[in-house]
Amino acid sequence: MPTLPRSLPAKRLGGALVASALVGAALVASGVLERSAVSREVEAPLTQEAMRALAPRGAKVAAAADCFACHTARGGAPYAGGLPLETPFGTIYATNITPSAEGIGGYSRADFHRALRDGIAPGGRHLYPAMPYTSYRGLSPDDVDALYAYMMSRPPVAVANRANTLTFPFDQRWTLAGWNILNLPAQVVTPDPKQSDLWNRGQYVADALGHCGECHTPRNALQAMRSDAALQGAVIEGVEAPDITPAGLRRMGFDPHSLTRFMAKGLSAQGGATHQMFDVVHYSTQHMDEADLTALSAYLFDRDALPAEPERPAAPAPVAVPQAVAMRASASYDGLCAGCHGHAGEGIPHVSVPLRSNALMRVSGASGLIRATLHGLPAQRFPDNERMEAMPGFATLLDDAALADLATWMRAQWGGQDKAVTPDEVARLRAGHRADASN
Amino acid sequence: MSAAIETRDLTLRVNGETVGPLPVPVGTSLLDFLHEWLGLTGSRMGCGQGICHACTVMVEEEAGPREMRSCITGAHWFEGRSVRTVEGHAHTAPDGSLVLSPVQTAFIENFAFQCGYCTPGFVTGASVLVERLKRTPVRRDEVERVVTEALDPHICRCTGYVRYHQAVRDLVLATPGLTTA
Repeated sequence: MPTLPRSLPAKRLGGALVASALVGAALVASGVLERSAVSREVEAPLTQEAMRALAPRGAKVAAAADCFACHTARGGAPYAGGLPLETPFGTIYATNITPSAEGIGGYSRADFHRALRDGIAPGGRHLYPAMPYTSYRGLSPDDVDALYAYMMSRPPVAVANRANTLTFPFDQRWTLAGWNILNLPAQVVTPDPKQSDLWNRGQYVADALGHCGECHTPRNALQAMRSDAALQGAVIEGVEAPDITPAGLRRMGFDPHSLTRFMAKGLSAQGGATHQMFDVVHYSTQHMDEADLTALSAYLFDRDALPAEPERPAAPAPVAVPQAVAMRASASYDGLCAGCHGHAGEGIPHVSVPLRSNALMRVSGASGLIRATLHGLPAQRFPDNERMEAMPGFATLLDDAALADLATWMRAQWGGQDKAVTPDEVARLRAGHRADASN
Repeated sequence: MSAAIETRDLTLRVNGETVGPLPVPVGTSLLDFLHEWLGLTGSRMGCGQGICHACTVMVEEEAGPREMRSCITGAHWFEGRSVRTVEGHAHTAPDGSLVLSPVQTAFIENFAFQCGYCTPGFVTGASVLVERLKRTPVRRDEVERVVTEALDPHICRCTGYVRYHQAVRDLVLATPGLTTA
């Protein structure tokens, strides 16, 4: 779920949004209209037979595009909306996309194409970019048709959409016209003839269907994905969405094969998918064809093809920490962590993930490790009847200094990280915790 | 091949008495320490993964007791701390007879357990709740929820949940000071 980082002052963004809207209004006034990616051909409705034939493939598109995760409230009816997306400017609620009167029952084929690829709903109402139409803009018309056929075949659910609670000027949808002119790509990405078919399919899967960048690409002051820093990592609802460039993936210990497996199963030596990435695996990638996951991996690693043999990136060299830190940290570890994660961080199959090869030790930021240690993680069910047990939170057992020492020591010995975690960073994550943000 | 096992001295309080210093290998769980060093076998090894809560003990702190799982927590974590196991809830009356704690009595009166394997954990969980309510009472209409939350992590394979729940709920409602109007 893409959302707006909390760190950005609302005032600054509000000003930027208004400025961009004025620029947009000027452009509209000067005759440069918003550019649609949708061809006029989709004005012709699909026949009932075509809809029936397309629906099964549309189910695959829906899974790969992960519509379910955002458009289904916890415990709510499938695709009936209601999941809150909290931003510093208020809450946006995902909408009902079942074919009911409250949902998209009245959408024509062309309406559906324009909502997905232009971010404009019937009546000219602009969608918020929380709906990843900037990514979906790259979807092929065939896939959008298939998705339309599938969504229209879902049971209609009569659930009214909840009103967003955005503050001014963020509640002014017209301002998004300006935002779109500045941030919505005019040209749709086309296959790169210099790259392999696999790579090109992977680019489509990653950038359009899977919209990886919506979480993994940092955003600029206007909250648009920064094309100069694509997939280099960002912070989403207080959790680090890691760098998934080839260097970032290798840093975490992935190779093209293990990444494919991780996307299919949600678990690897690098640990388990947590927070929003758990939802991605749970609702989306585990249901994708292996060919698409292979393509995704090839693209993310920037390869023409997957290597014949797994490549095992070398484990980072341990970094020494001061003796006093190591003493305090190992006492905490032996007392509170080793019972489940093992004395050497090896983990227990089906119970707890390994720590010594865990990506949280290796990524640049320590927030993921600190958060998990402070607040715990829920039990998780993975494909193939695999599961990981709940991790308790240690917020009341470890103070800021003790947890900082523990995180510093674990990341130094297993992740080769020489930057010490500070008690201040722990204090910040302790205070900023919201129970509803954890998965 | 033999590997040297690192051993450190451990001193803690168990059921009100100081224990140690005793040489204990660093990787020893509190549960093994209670069983093998002290002969206190009441805390149960169930899953060994921190899930079933049959192994929980009370850790007595100034702010009130907390529950901890002895199977996944290292014995040395309790250095200098004070632990109460299921053996430490009853007390001996002046006439030499054993007086069960109110929680233990409530479990007996409600026939709360069958095989009894999970009972030490339920005694711990319910007693921690009762101690908490002595400090911060709850409204009577919140008792149902509070008891459910306190017992929820404990697994009973005989599925005696209803009677455990009833025993604790009745005890809380009948004990002055645990609830507000």
